[in-house]
Amino acid sequence: MAAIGVHFGYTCACVAIFKDGRADVVANDAGDRVTPAVVAYRDTEQIVGIAAKQGRIRNAANTVVKVKQILGRSFDDPEAQKHLAESKCPVINKDKKPRYEIDMGEVTKIVSPEEVAKLVFHKMKETAQSALGSDITDAVITVPFEFGEMQKNALRQAAEGAGFSVLRLIHEPSAALLAYGIGQDSPTGKSHVLVYKLGGTSLTVTVMEVNSGMYRVLATHTDHSIGGEGFTQALAQYLAAEFKKSYKHDVTGNPRAMMKLMNSADVAKHTLSTLGSSNCFVDSLYDGMDFDCNVSRARFELLCSSLFNKSIQPIKALLEQVGLSSSDISKVVLCGGSARIPKLQQMIQDLFPDVELLSSIPPDEVIPVGAAIEAGILLGRESSALDQDSITVDCCARDILVKEADDSGADVYTVLFPSGTPLPARRQHTLHGPGSLSSICLELYQSQAHNNTPQEKVAQIVLNNLEPKEENHDIVTVVTMKRDGSLHVTCTEQGSGKSEAVTVAVAS
Amino acid sequence: MLKEAVEGQVTVVCNAIAASVQFQVEPVGRWFEAFLKRRDRNVSASFQELEEEEELSEESEDEELQLEEYAMLKTLDPKDWKNQDHYAVLGLAHMRYKATQKQIKAAHKAMVLKHHPDKRKAAGEQIVEGDNDYFTCITKAIEILSDPVKRRAFDSVDPTFDNAVPSKAEGKENFFEVFSPVFERNSRWTSKKHVPKLGTMDSTFEEVDTFYSFWYNFDSWREFSYLDEEEKEKAECRDERRWIEKQNRASRAQRKKEEMNRIRTLVDTAYSCDPRIKKFKEDEKARKESEKKAKAEAKRREQEEKERARQAELEAARLAKEKEEEEAKQAAQQAKKEKEIQKKAIKKERQKLRTTCKNWNYFADSEAESVKMMEEVEKLCDRLELVSLQSLNEMLSSGTKEEGKAAVEKHVQQVNAQLQKEREAEVQARQASRSSEQASSGSGGGSKGWNEEELQLLIKAVNLFPAGTNARWEVIANYMNLHSTSGIKRNAKDVINKAKNLQKLDPHQKDEINKKAFEKFKKEHAAVPPTVDNAVPSERFEVSGAEANAAWTTEEQKLLEQALKTFPVNTPERWEKIAAVVPGRTKKDCMKRYKELVEMVKAKKAAQEQVAAKSKK
Repeated sequence: MAAIGVHFGYTCACVAIFKDGRADVVANDAGDRVTPAVVAYRDTEQIVGIAAKQGRIRNAANTVVKVKQILGRSFDDPEAQKHLAESKCPVINKDKKPRYEIDMGEVTKIVSPEEVAKLVFHKMKETAQSALGSDITDAVITVPFEFGEMQKNALRQAAEGAGFSVLRLIHEPSAALLAYGIGQDSPTGKSHVLVYKLGGTSLTVTVMEVNSGMYRVLATHTDHSIGGEGFTQALAQYLAAEFKKSYKHDVTGNPRAMMKLMNSADVAKHTLSTLGSSNCFVDSLYDGMDFDCNVSRARFELLCSSLFNKSIQPIKALLEQVGLSSSDISKVVLCGGSARIPKLQQMIQDLFPDVELLSSIPPDEVIPVGAAIEAGILLGRESSALDQDSITVDCCARDILVKEADDSGADVYTVLFPSGTPLPARRQHTLHGPGSLSSICLELYQSQAHNNTPQEKVAQIVLNNLEPKEENHDIVTVVTMKRDGSLHVTCTEQGSGKSEAVTVAVAS
Repeated sequence: MLKEAVEGQVTVVCNAIAASVQFQVEPVGRWFEAFLKRRDRNVSASFQELEEEEELSEESEDEELQLEEYAMLKTLDPKDWKNQDHYAVLGLAHMRYKATQKQIKAAHKAMVLKHHPDKRKAAGEQIVEGDNDYFTCITKAIEILSDPVKRRAFDSVDPTFDNAVPSKAEGKENFFEVFSPVFERNSRWTSKKHVPKLGTMDSTFEEVDTFYSFWYNFDSWREFSYLDEEEKEKAECRDERRWIEKQNRASRAQRKKEEMNRIRTLVDTAYSCDPRIKKFKEDEKARKESEKKAKAEAKRREQEEKERARQAELEAARLAKEKEEEEAKQAAQQAKKEKEIQKKAIKKERQKLRTTCKNWNYFADSEAESVKMMEEVEKLCDRLELVSLQSLNEMLSSGTKEEGKAAVEKHVQQVNAQLQKEREAEVQARQASRSSEQASSGSGGGSKGWNEEELQLLIKAVNLFPAGTNARWEVIANYMNLHSTSGIKRNAKDVINKAKNLQKLDPHQKDEINKKAFEKFKKEHAAVPPTVDNAVPSERFEVSGAEANAAWTTEEQKLLEQALKTFPVNTPERWEKIAAVVPGRTKKDCMKRYKELVEMVKAKKAAQEQVAAKSKK
């Protein structure tokens, strides 16, 4: 059995298969691992993918792009209105729902965004099937964190319409974490992870807390004005200026020429992520004149520097919002095609100097891979169905710490039980005490609500009459917290087996 | 490094901890799934973590396996493998059926490492050749314990298992101490999970109920194939194998039955000894009894209440009656007194009259006259009542002898006239009764009674419609019905019969009837109470009633009849309307009259019927 994860983005869609314990992205029939989410309607057929994207130059009015922007939205929605303004394909209002108007020669066909999405999903299904050689229905679909109930439902319906049996809808940042298996090895420990996703048209930065293998979104920021397309646009503008310089012709007013330039710039941009320079060549761009131009990576970075700066800014604001410093972030996950850009990666690395930047999985494939891993986890479960999309769990409110002394004798606090741990939970620690002592005292503290420094003493545990010995006393401390938050701590000295236990009740 | 405890520091809780908070988590990852599973199964503690820990501890125990029982191993006879304790052979005697496959494998491995013939040979030990070495026992043990089916068969007949069932006497004493371990150890045979515990004295009824229902429906996996006497594998041909199989099946079934019986006995014994069951039964009984009592109490109270009400009513009635009686008695006494006083007064007056008369020598001159007068005076004394006597006496005492004589004579005349009238009335009454008797007998059997009025009416009608009138008798009958006051409907036949009878009657009687009609006419139109003069004192009230009665003139009667007809029974406020139509009569009068009429008609009818019955006889 195999299951797949599907990422359906604003500009691109991608599918990954989970098989034999690993997940991998599969290439479509054109050999590309990422399929543009573009649907073109021609006389009798619908074309999905790269062919549709390229055909847009000639068939813009019947080609639907960025359908995700209006999927599940009402016509009056500001996002839908924005899409309306950009779309080359006419959109009409029907019962307060946006509908595409497709010119089919004699008749006009009314197409709903869900139908367009369905076609994209169908294409992804075909891709997965051709790679597996067998039919496949079980899938996990990713959705942006900010998607509302209506949009999720629309997406689910579109996927089901394409023949998928949707195991679950998961959020894109969670899928990204899952792709790297963050927190999946051990069910203990707590860390913060930043997910930086820069897609074709949108930027999403999310801070997540990973605790006991469970993910929690602390804060997220989405900006629909920044994206890979912006970079391409900037490059295309530069190319147009270059063309004007050499041929004295302004092509910016010519949509077809601009579209040609855009496609060329897109290719050049992709190349520049790996190579130092790229060649742009457009056959008969304008009036039979060919266009040929070399762009260096430095030139591109210069062109886009303000955009890059804009792309980085939300990170700082977000960290401030959740009250974390850059050192509190243990990992940064990059996803989205534009996160491949070396300059951007470097800028992020500068923000988090001590942090590992996870980009070993191609950033545009991270999300579908994560979805496929989740699909693998869910596969074969009797009841994978979830009543609600997000689940509320009881969590520990404060850090539980123990006071110790470091080598110099100064007080240090060690976290025994981190806040945000899903309850009930049990944590075991082995603490050490100097072997020369005959009695040892464990002082338990809980962190204050807002700042971590001033501690509140909760309990102390004293182990008396220990036999002094040469090596250290090993004290096994088991900390158990029940669902309501009440704490039970048991300390056992390994050498003598002496033990003490306390139960701390919840403040009413 | 932990710190040293300062002198006097003790283990203590000094602050409450913050309550848990709720967070939304992303529904992804295997730990989330594990969490979901835990939550769905409602395992309170971190179940999986515990399970893992347990596994860890087991593994650590494996390494500490006791392998010192060589002595026992060496005494084993490989041929007698069936009777050996396989767990003991592998050094798992302390684990027995609780040993995991992992542990069994580990134990076997350890055993092999120690006891393999090659190993021992290398160590310079003498090895018995062939299958007779005790290592075969180890092989056999792992063979049985590693196969789930064979292991189950061996577990089923575990020699260390205590099959004993406590007796009732034992159970009565310390029920929980005796039965708890028994159920505990028998619960290993269950094929279901979650065996309910025996519980304690404080267990609820539900808990006890679940416990017993579980044990009464005990589903055991215990089977007795290990004890098969014949071995199927040893059979030489198919028939023999079949025979062996049959044999084994029978013995297994038998043993299984015994086992079920054993469990059943155990549960039965426990149930009968269970103090809780007794308690529940008693509770139930007590509850029912108290309910019954409450019911009876309520009933009793209700009855008492009723009785009391009845008593009170009776008492009130009695009191009222007593009061009435008392009043009546008093009234009677009063009346008696008055009567006596009156009597005395009369006596006195009479005496006075007599003496006065005597004084005046009875206003007579001659002896004979005085005697006659004396008689008259005596009559006066008898007849006159108090008032007139008084007035007479007064007159006598105040007036002269002459005046007195006149007064006395006047009274004597009055009295005589009265006597005369009475006598006449008597005669008349006798005559009337006779004539009415005649009339009723004359009208023939079966016919309705004809009274005088109707006879008069008939005669009048006959005269009004002379012979030759068209359908004469019907017309007469109709006329009669219209004008009759008695309300009796006559048909033509009746009328013919009566008329014939009347014709047959002598003219004298006819005359009499006519005369009577005239008399009556006179009486009614004179509107004088005819009986007032000859009324006796004691009849006064009735007389006054008769007076009212008689006061109904024919005019009024007619009006009343007409009114009765125009206002049928169901008219609202019928009597008011009737009274309004009849001038000079109240509603009450009308009703009374009507009632009287009805009464009269009824009485007449009854009399006629009696007559008819007599005549029939």
